[in-house]
Amino acid sequence: MIINDRNIKVWSTIGARATFGIAALELGKEIDNLMVLTCDVSTSAGLDRFRKTYPEKYLDLGIAEQNMIGVATGLASENFNVITTTFAPFQTMRCCEQIKVNLGYMGQKICMVGIASGLALGTLGFTHCCIEDVGILRSIPGITIISPADSLETVKALEKAVKSESPSYIRLTGSSNNPIVYKEDYDFEIGKSITLKQGKDITIFGTGSMVYQSLEAAKILEGKKISTTVVNMHTIKPIDKIAIDKACSSKLIVTVEEHNVIGGLGSAIAEYKSSLKNSPEQLFIGIQDTYSKSGSYKFLREKHRLTAEKIVEDIFKKLKT
Amino acid sequence: MTNLDKYKKIFIDNFNIDNSKLEDLEYNKITEWDSIGHMTLIAAIEEQFKITMETDDLIDLSSYKKGKQILCEKYKIEI
Amino acid sequence: MYKIDPNNITELSNKIRKNILDLSFYAGASSSHFGGALSSVEIIATLFGKIMDFNKNNFQKKNRDRFILSKGHGCMVYYSILNILGIISDEQLKSFEKDDSDLPGHPVKNLNLGIDFTTGSLGMGLSLGVGVALAIKKNNNNNRVFVLVGDGECNEGSIWEAALCAPNLGLNNLTVIIDNNNFQQTGSNDEIMSTKDLKKKWLSFNWKTSTVDGHNIEEIFNILKNKDEKLPQAVICNTVKGKGFSFSENNNDWHHSVLTKSFYEKALNELNKK
Repeated sequence: MIINDRNIKVWSTIGARATFGIAALELGKEIDNLMVLTCDVSTSAGLDRFRKTYPEKYLDLGIAEQNMIGVATGLASENFNVITTTFAPFQTMRCCEQIKVNLGYMGQKICMVGIASGLALGTLGFTHCCIEDVGILRSIPGITIISPADSLETVKALEKAVKSESPSYIRLTGSSNNPIVYKEDYDFEIGKSITLKQGKDITIFGTGSMVYQSLEAAKILEGKKISTTVVNMHTIKPIDKIAIDKACSSKLIVTVEEHNVIGGLGSAIAEYKSSLKNSPEQLFIGIQDTYSKSGSYKFLREKHRLTAEKIVEDIFKKLKT
Repeated sequence: MTNLDKYKKIFIDNFNIDNSKLEDLEYNKITEWDSIGHMTLIAAIEEQFKITMETDDLIDLSSYKKGKQILCEKYKIEI
Repeated sequence: MYKIDPNNITELSNKIRKNILDLSFYAGASSSHFGGALSSVEIIATLFGKIMDFNKNNFQKKNRDRFILSKGHGCMVYYSILNILGIISDEQLKSFEKDDSDLPGHPVKNLNLGIDFTTGSLGMGLSLGVGVALAIKKNNNNNRVFVLVGDGECNEGSIWEAALCAPNLGLNNLTVIIDNNNFQQTGSNDEIMSTKDLKKKWLSFNWKTSTVDGHNIEEIFNILKNKDEKLPQAVICNTVKGKGFSFSENNNDWHHSVLTKSFYEKALNELNKK
């Protein structure tokens, strides 16, 4: 993939889903034994062009996610390099047990991509939102879980995951006009978080769409004399323990995710942190274990306090106590 | 470069086509102008003319000719 | 070591039954899925003895037919044939259901032991078969894939997702064999969730479907020996759960139970008389 200013801007405009489609196209050119499997979501996943360019590498299994994972496993066992994709709730929950048995227990390497995770499809209601996927998959041994911060990171994460030996899940959040976190190319390694901003007082761990919001929140906090470190924890499993160790010198650790506060990034960090002798308190920012009435992505992020301004308010509230 | 030149260049670069093919060009009539091609086209137009297009206009922009009309009437860009 | 005679699959079936008895006995108080293993014996014997193309000295070679035990609880019949082929040793067989064993109560993928896939959670094996059959076709190979499912297993929706899919993909190299022994865990199919007219159901999903006596080796062989030109094949084998021993035939108490010494000896006696 050519990573330049123009592409970064285009990918941001078109959003992570469409960017995934473009990245898959490049991988299709490069990898002979690539197969992309979907459940009737070619256009939704930006895969229309892939489907037309590499019809022999594309397989639409219809609205049957359990079958998709089984077929993917069968293909992968015969040395095909398989990507599966559909909307995040269906990608992770409808076929959860197949994921457990085939990817987890049997260890068959497949790269799953959950599109429109989080609240992006909020107008369609919570059947089409996904605030549980990380929590559920984290409890299946052996599956790498990545939540890219922006469209460029989506490209890099997909490439690494497809070329790795481990079964993986890439969680795509955000919509079109996906804010840019990375303005130029950079090194991406699965499992190695990236400190985007160094501060002294508090540390915010963000993941996926919330990395940008965390950076914006940090700017506001600096203005109020709270020196903030912001870490992009793109890989939620395996979690970067060294980054958590480092954050223990902060007064407060804040975790921000477009996911239930139960089971996701916050929980993953808390699990490790609680084993340490000395660590600061943790503020869990995310969806507070509730569904709500539907609305636009913007509306739902406001409602669930997942904007820079609301993140700042919640941090202030916590610091005052 | 005139606005027209800029507009033409966007289509030529985005879809890898010849100047002569522009006038009658429509969405989905060539392989490159699929849903992804459309999004990258819009991104390029927005960047070039420093505008953010409304959803209705994104959908309405279904041909080279229509695009000119929309940019003129809705975004006051003389092409 | 026993050399399989393709003209004497009955003898092979008896050897498999003996292995199942031994395995059940090794399992001891852990119990084992006795009934569901026994109903599949002739199917497995015919498949591995006469139908499938593979090399037992190079079981992992690329060009070979594949077998998937979707009804994973029937694993004793699977481990038995792999032992007779010399791929699982007698010693390993003794570890069945023991601590830290490679041979637990449902098969776990282990290419060294000839086990291609982990199964046991019902309803998943046919999709695996679809994927493998598709891969074989994409690699321009002529090999076949055989998936053994249970009739109770056909309660699972995922079976029907795969059933819908296979004809759509033109997978005439895929055969599903349904061990139709009329029982599932806690009762007969009719009592729990009837799968009446399985033949009609598979036909309506556009599979080349037939019904045979699941203990008649000649019938099984004749139906499996050729694949269809276009369609995947469904073979419904009418079987007897617990087939082979007087105390277990059609007795669902033997779905998952302990084989005591006295039953072991009784069974051995009956087997030796065959």
